[in-house]
Amino acid sequence: MRLPKFVAVAAVAAFALTVAACGSDAGDAQNANPPASAPSSAMTSSPAMVAGEFGSGCSAVPTDPMNAGSFQAMAQVPVATAASGNPLLSTLVTAVKQAGLVDSLNSAEDVTLFAPTNDAFAKIPKAQLDQVLADKEKLTKILTYHVVTGGQLTPETLAGTQMTLEGQNLMVAGSGANFTANGDAKVVCGNVKTANATVYIVDTVLMPPA
Amino acid sequence: MRRLLWPGFAGLVSAALGVSTGQLVATVINQQSGPLYAVGAMVVDATPARVKEFAVRTAGTYDKPLLLLGIGGAVALVAAVLGIVAARRRWVGPTGFAALGGLGVVAALTRPGASGLDVIPALVSTIVAGAVLVGMLRAAPPTGSVGRTGVLNRRAFLGGVAIVVTTAGAAAGSQILGGAAARTRDRVRLPRPARPAPALPAGLAPGFVTPNADFYRVDTALSVPRVDADRWTLSVGGMVDKPFALSFDDLLRQPMVEEYVTLNCVSNEVGGPYVGTAKWLGVPLAALLRRAGVHAGADQIVARSVDGMTIGTPTATVLDTGTTPGTQQALLCVGMNGEPLPLEHGFPVRMLTPGVYGYAGSGKWITHIELSTFDAFDAYWVRRGYAARAPVKTASRIDRPGPFARLAAGPVTVAGVAWAQGRGIAAVEVQVDDGAWEPATLLPEPNLDTWIQWTHRWQARPGQHSLRVRAVDGSGTGQPGERANPFPDGATGWHTVAVTVA
Repeated sequence: MRLPKFVAVAAVAAFALTVAACGSDAGDAQNANPPASAPSSAMTSSPAMVAGEFGSGCSAVPTDPMNAGSFQAMAQVPVATAASGNPLLSTLVTAVKQAGLVDSLNSAEDVTLFAPTNDAFAKIPKAQLDQVLADKEKLTKILTYHVVTGGQLTPETLAGTQMTLEGQNLMVAGSGANFTANGDAKVVCGNVKTANATVYIVDTVLMPPA
Repeated sequence: MRRLLWPGFAGLVSAALGVSTGQLVATVINQQSGPLYAVGAMVVDATPARVKEFAVRTAGTYDKPLLLLGIGGAVALVAAVLGIVAARRRWVGPTGFAALGGLGVVAALTRPGASGLDVIPALVSTIVAGAVLVGMLRAAPPTGSVGRTGVLNRRAFLGGVAIVVTTAGAAAGSQILGGAAARTRDRVRLPRPARPAPALPAGLAPGFVTPNADFYRVDTALSVPRVDADRWTLSVGGMVDKPFALSFDDLLRQPMVEEYVTLNCVSNEVGGPYVGTAKWLGVPLAALLRRAGVHAGADQIVARSVDGMTIGTPTATVLDTGTTPGTQQALLCVGMNGEPLPLEHGFPVRMLTPGVYGYAGSGKWITHIELSTFDAFDAYWVRRGYAARAPVKTASRIDRPGPFARLAAGPVTVAGVAWAQGRGIAAVEVQVDDGAWEPATLLPEPNLDTWIQWTHRWQARPGQHSLRVRAVDGSGTGQPGERANPFPDGATGWHTVAVTVA
């Protein structure tokens, strides 16, 4: 019975070594942590994992991982590039381009984007939408109101008062798989990962209060 | 149920012991020959291009271990089934493991640059796994005997311990191996350059040189290759008069050149982070090519890495770089910022071709250089649709203020970098909102192959603002403003940053 004890000690020692190994790997990974490119291209390697999206609207997202609009593809590229690959978000992408916010969104660190669907934009009367799209300052104000700063929100940290890039707060209520922003904007597909942001797709465009 | 438990468990334990012993043996022979790694690499190679593109796109610090984990899981499943079947038909165990081992042997032999020695790890795995399985099944507790569960539990415990020990042992082994490569890296004494880089001009801002730890890394390596410099060789062959091979020491004896060069990745988005500048130390590749005597018409240099990567570079580019004033030479690099190449950046030897994107001129962990033609051979990324020839496009980036910065009204320093390796930067211009383009102040540019730092003073007024930058290269050509994706030959567009001034 001496042997098992020795074996156990050896096991603990070996385990400690393994843990140390993982520790240093994690350090490397941070520095290594690479790129992101056009969804159609291949030259990337990013440590994003795809899991945990929720909501009825997620079924409208392409499932073929080769599709630039799929969760897998979106996870590999920064948020504005990711959105541009997703057919549900084409109006939003047009607005982001119009406001000149593509690069800023792509390089913003650790943000959460509430992304209105094309249907959400379609709820706005066309004349009014065109007017907003033509007014860069107002458009920027509205779009930045959809970006929450200070970290990527998880379903657990989503509910509550959230500070937006625009400067005013956004109120998120709900739990589990049911969330609303500012009362009437329903999260139809949430917790979508991109290389630099977590996305919650909403069915209504959020309007800054003031 | 219990009747299945022990044999299944025996299968698992024997596979775990077999695989980890094989991996451990591989640490002394060649890490790439470890059965798990070899099969993983074979899976990557055998996968259809489109699926592989996806795999490569999702390949990263997690996906590569995930692939290995998946293969490990599959082996575990097969092993458990083997154990269960072998409990009744003893011969199935060793035969099944022999089949698995055969797969490992084939995988190891089909790795680029494989030698006969590389079959040893998989053979060891097979023998260990088969022997352990037979042994454990002989020692099987009498089936269905109540009251012997204590024995089973103790055995289960010991078996569990064995799994932990061997797995940890393999992990520790690869750590030790990493340590070994790190030690050979530590032992490397870089020679003094025959031609040192001129001192950097005064007046550069901090951040001109990118520290090795911050230098971007983009590659497809399943595990960072850990190459033993003492065993490393470089062969130069293909369309040449006199093929030859060099050891690492041979290479270090060549006259060394030191130069500052900016390297960037084709997959960098506009304003993205995959660009950096380092002081490189290496042997001019042109000199080695002249020694080999390149045949007329050999318009492509194919560099092969230990991990099977191929990178194709125009021969003319390699011969031309460094011949016009201000341009730097294409090198076989051994040093980066005063130290041996970090493992992640290609230790012991990488290529560096100033003026072309990394995927088309700067392979890492290089072991073979083959003169060929663009007609005859498509390199790895070319087969995936990227351009065969990929000169760097003129680009510029705003580093300060950051995206969505909130600034106080008054004077604000806008600053960043711009690059057009081989041509240099003649001017950088900044535009605020829809205002006029204004010239930025250029900091000194050490040579045409590095980026240039620039600053611009802006009187910020309250409100939302867009800051935009563009550059003009040394030939007088402006940076294209149209937006293009990185695929297939590099992104274009003027980097734009949104800020709010209170």
